[in-house]
Amino acid sequence: MARREEILKDIQTRFREDIVDFFDKSSKRVYIEIKPESIVRVAGYIFKELEARFNIASGVDARTHLEILYHFSLEDINLLISLRVKLDRENPEIDSLAPVFKGANWIEREIHELLGINFRGHPDLRRLLLAKEWPAGVYPLRADYREWDRNAIRDRGV
Amino acid sequence: MSITLNALLKSPWVFHLSTGSCNNCDIEVLDCLTPRFDIERFGMLLTGSIKHADVLLVTGSCNRKSANRLKVLYDQAPKPCVVIAIGECSLSRGMFIHSYNCPVPLDKIIPVDAYIPGCPPKPEAIIAGAVKLIQKVRGK
Repeated sequence: MARREEILKDIQTRFREDIVDFFDKSSKRVYIEIKPESIVRVAGYIFKELEARFNIASGVDARTHLEILYHFSLEDINLLISLRVKLDRENPEIDSLAPVFKGANWIEREIHELLGINFRGHPDLRRLLLAKEWPAGVYPLRADYREWDRNAIRDRGV
Repeated sequence: MSITLNALLKSPWVFHLSTGSCNNCDIEVLDCLTPRFDIERFGMLLTGSIKHADVLLVTGSCNRKSANRLKVLYDQAPKPCVVIAIGECSLSRGMFIHSYNCPVPLDKIIPVDAYIPGCPPKPEAIIAGAVKLIQKVRGK
């Protein structure tokens, strides 16, 4: 437990200006909300200096804003750190983490196509999952997504 | 009945395609091949290539990308080829009916000869469906 407190204190003092909110949810889970412009610095520190594992990032449309949670796990002390960034709905943009660690490459492509968040400096921001005929600028996981395909059948025919 | 059709029905070779299923129907299809159910006693054999198959088993809810591949596979199948839809997803897309990625059900993409409902269908149901289909083609 001592190393856990040490690490959290270290993050809090080191990134005093970057942290918006610090929520110590349980002994296994910490949510740290940071400013979007400091994501590369904070995530790079957690990944490279603390040697955390980058699990996954999850994008959420929270209706008032879009947010991304970057989940890092420190397995030796059984701690999951989730970095939360809130992005503007009109122009969602954030620096890419793919140049820092390769594991962020595909999940950023997926968040880009499903939620329409632009990752600045991503090496290869192509589509990952959606079909070729999917129209540009339509993001299926946005809360205001509406059906665009006129040929779609949405009843069971019974 | 022609001699080729008779020969085909004696031992229909089956190709199994998952178009984005949760793998539960696929597990049940594989269950049919285990010694407990042993679908080979009806002469059915799972093949590795659609070009050797007489029956196309389809599981899953046909998303936009796999629908194109399904069409290509169906075109490659030697005719006559019967198509069996297995599971609720390939019948009507099940819980994915309003999904942005599943616009049309399987029978609007390729013609389907037999439907086996269930989530997942039991191996007994799959065998019963296959036997019924063979009898229907024989004209009994």
